[in-house]
Amino acid sequence: MTRTLRWIVFAIAAIAMNFPVIVTLITSFKSAREISSNAGLWINAPTLSNYLSVLTDTTRFNIWLYLFNSTMAALIGTLLAMALAFPAAYAIARSETGRRVLFPMVVNLRAVPLIIFAIPLYMMYQWLGLLDTRIGLGLILTIVNIPLALVIFVNAIADVPVELDEAAKVDGASTLETLRRVIWPVVRPAMPTTFIFGFITAWNEFLFGLMLTTSKAVPMTVGASFFFAASGGGVNWGTASAVMIIGALPPAVIGLMMYKQIFGSMTAGAVKG
Amino acid sequence: MQLVNRGEGRLFLSPLVIFLLLFLGFPAIVNLVYSISTVTFETLRAPELSGYGNYLDVLSDRYFWQASWFSLRFGIITALAECLIGLFLAIFLNPLLGKRPYLMAPLMLPLMVAPAMVGLMYRLVLHEFAGPVPYYLWMWFGDSPAFLDADNAFRTLVVIETLQWTPFAFLLFHTAYSAIPSDVREAAALDGAGGWTLLTKIELPLIKPTLIIAFFIRFIDGFRVFDNIYALTGAGAGGSTTSLSIYIYQAFFKQGAIGKAVAASVVLFIASLVVLYALTALGSRRKEKT
Amino acid sequence: MIKKTTIMALAGLLAGTAMPGIANATVTVLGWPGGSEEAALRAATDVYNETAREDDKVELIFFSRDGFFDKLQADLAAGSDAFDINLIAAYSIGRYAPYMEPIDLGDDAETVFGKAVLETMQYEGRQYGVPTDLSLHFMYYRTDLLDALLGDADARAEYSKIAEEYLGKPMEPKPADEWTWDDWAATALYFTKSINRASPVRYGTVLQMKNLLFNMMVFQSLPRSYGADWRDAEGNITIDSEGYRKGLELYKTLYDAGATPKDSLSYEYAETNAAFAAGQVATALQWNAAAGELTDPEKTPAVAEVTGVVAPPAGPNGRADHIHGLGLGLNKNAKNKEGALRFLQWLATEDAALLYAENGGSPALMPDVVAKIADDRPDLVDLGNFASQYGYVMDGGTSANALSIYEVQAREFTGYWSGQQSLDEALANTEAEMRDLLNP
Repeated sequence: MTRTLRWIVFAIAAIAMNFPVIVTLITSFKSAREISSNAGLWINAPTLSNYLSVLTDTTRFNIWLYLFNSTMAALIGTLLAMALAFPAAYAIARSETGRRVLFPMVVNLRAVPLIIFAIPLYMMYQWLGLLDTRIGLGLILTIVNIPLALVIFVNAIADVPVELDEAAKVDGASTLETLRRVIWPVVRPAMPTTFIFGFITAWNEFLFGLMLTTSKAVPMTVGASFFFAASGGGVNWGTASAVMIIGALPPAVIGLMMYKQIFGSMTAGAVKG
Repeated sequence: MQLVNRGEGRLFLSPLVIFLLLFLGFPAIVNLVYSISTVTFETLRAPELSGYGNYLDVLSDRYFWQASWFSLRFGIITALAECLIGLFLAIFLNPLLGKRPYLMAPLMLPLMVAPAMVGLMYRLVLHEFAGPVPYYLWMWFGDSPAFLDADNAFRTLVVIETLQWTPFAFLLFHTAYSAIPSDVREAAALDGAGGWTLLTKIELPLIKPTLIIAFFIRFIDGFRVFDNIYALTGAGAGGSTTSLSIYIYQAFFKQGAIGKAVAASVVLFIASLVVLYALTALGSRRKEKT
Repeated sequence: MIKKTTIMALAGLLAGTAMPGIANATVTVLGWPGGSEEAALRAATDVYNETAREDDKVELIFFSRDGFFDKLQADLAAGSDAFDINLIAAYSIGRYAPYMEPIDLGDDAETVFGKAVLETMQYEGRQYGVPTDLSLHFMYYRTDLLDALLGDADARAEYSKIAEEYLGKPMEPKPADEWTWDDWAATALYFTKSINRASPVRYGTVLQMKNLLFNMMVFQSLPRSYGADWRDAEGNITIDSEGYRKGLELYKTLYDAGATPKDSLSYEYAETNAAFAAGQVATALQWNAAAGELTDPEKTPAVAEVTGVVAPPAGPNGRADHIHGLGLGLNKNAKNKEGALRFLQWLATEDAALLYAENGGSPALMPDVVAKIADDRPDLVDLGNFASQYGYVMDGGTSANALSIYEVQAREFTGYWSGQQSLDEALANTEAEMRDLLNP
């Protein structure tokens, strides 16, 4: 009885939360003609033309380049953010240093629309030669991701009993060794989660991608809106849907690969704890 | 016992601090200058200092306060909804998901789609003639409400945001909940604790830090919401769906009022810093007590 | 071990950027992506490159359509030299002029485009661009519905009754090309199902009322035909006028009466097209760019055959049609100004303009020029006629802050339509902000 109820709740949640995705998927197989005449959730005459026009017309719309750019920039933006945030999180969780001022300041970066930095950053990038480069975009995404990585890491490290650190210290381990041997194994389960959230955020970032790239390093989100404007212009819903599905595939695949990781390491952590 | 001494603490913090200083130091200084200058796109390199006029402009602009109120309400309501639904799903579906982890996939999927795209797609989904939702409502009930008029836009946007980001809270809760060691539950069961007692007395307190973190992150994200609202309703009729991010973006690009936009951001930064600082202070004082 | 290889692979990928980049072109043109303008520009460029000197060859770039002008603004303001030629729009010309170089298009330009159209690309008397595309508005309407109404005595009586109830006077239905704004409004009310059960469609019209500056351009022509303008000869702001009051009230009357879809406050170009294409509205004031789609039986099977196009309805001061142009101009920081100028001057020739039009662009051409492609592009004839007869730009419509003015109007007017403020408040707020924006 409860089991059935659980399945029902699962189905409702899955359908409701994915509703726009489902509609997008269906729309991506409809022709312009059918979109204007059939609003329902079935397809009378399925067509692949939307996907073909997106994938094959590379003179107009270089989707492979966009996907590559997004992957590179998002990887830099996620991994670098994690690498910078992890040691800092340890210092913040285990000492007064930084907790009072730095932590709130950095976390606050997430609340402020970073776009106000767009113009000075643009000028700085122009000077440094970072405009329209994947690395330049990746570095900005790092800033976007640092607050979340820091919050998750500080929270995870705070969960590690201080006694474990102390025991290691008594055994004569240096702080670095304690970090590696005691903290790392327990915090490891938080890594995939942080990575996924960071990667998704970086992948879906639009405004910096728009402002700081022109042709060589254009990311997927910017490339995707090549055919339609969010405001003030026509929208080709079929193409838009196809682009959206393709654009969501990489983070979805990475996310699904990582979730195995999450649960693998989680059970490991649980056994140890 | 001081686990990390001052020098080591600084050492661990330095990569992050240096990175942030390198990348945001110059922009932050430029922005602070802009915020007390008369500056347009034409005079980016030669702003004219003009005192605190931009700050006064912002603080006396009713649309700034309207946007702040929108963001605050939107942030709190969506964060609450996402955390409550996420928590319910994490606990209620746990027996199902524990055995079949692949069921996680559909629940994580909404996170993968760019919010701007979700906003764009809802323009189709909710369209009275081309969208499936009104289509079926007309078919079944012979009418369909206005989803995005001045009265309903806020509710609709809350629902859209909640549907997309509940998985975020859910994922955090699921991880934390599954990580509760099984011996804790077994011990409680031996002590005769029923399901409800187990949940409220043992499990929830154990995942409380995650609950707080999730609410906190979701609140910040809801507060600074931009993409999906911008794509769907823009600033809204009479500015009714202008979040603070949209307000700042419009001041910056559409009105070219750079000084005002930056001043609004500084106000926002200081305000949220004060709140955060107070929360941190409160948190550490409570810790000292226990 | 695995980690090390992964990192090395990543580093390799980062360093070896062996991806197709943009070749070192000699003239780089930034165009307007995604639509007919792009297709036309590509075709014209291909022809130009066949005969151009090696260091004059043109390479096109297009970045995102979404946020395009914000990005362009940042690029220009920061002095980017990533492109030699860039898109400009009539309403933002004042904003971009400081970063652009005035150009001389040659003597032929006036015989191809005409003086009025060239002026859409001028700021303070100087030419800043080639006018490649012109945008204005058409009144789209359902010929089948209107014919049925005109030919049925009972329907005419019902029409008159509805007009009296909502607009305060009995009226007679008229053919679309004789409409005043009141005739259009009465027709819209008549074809609204909640008002007239017999109506075969759900709504009489579809208004674009989203808080969006482009929607204000669509709206402007209604007040304009009642004589409205942004300011008078002395520079006083004249937004609080009979014309604007009439226009704003008429929109609100139609919205409140349910003659336009309920979600009209979130409607813009795409929503309007979708509503009309679904065959559930009788009239729509919409951009000329929609003509191709709405009259194409392949894309719009439901109504393409019965869609008529006329100029916007008339007011006491005749008809008015808000025009704005897109064009291409010269970046002040261009690397190859001579080459860029040669391309721009070529674009302004008759051959190039015809080529551009044949490939889907919408240039406004002089009558004797457009006659040469009238068979292929009948809509360009309407475009040219409406532009020359009814086209107008508000006083201040190309000023440096024109975009901000549309922004303010969009916010305040939608605030009135949605019932959040009174008409007087909306006009007073608009006037106050326009005073700052127009006369700094």
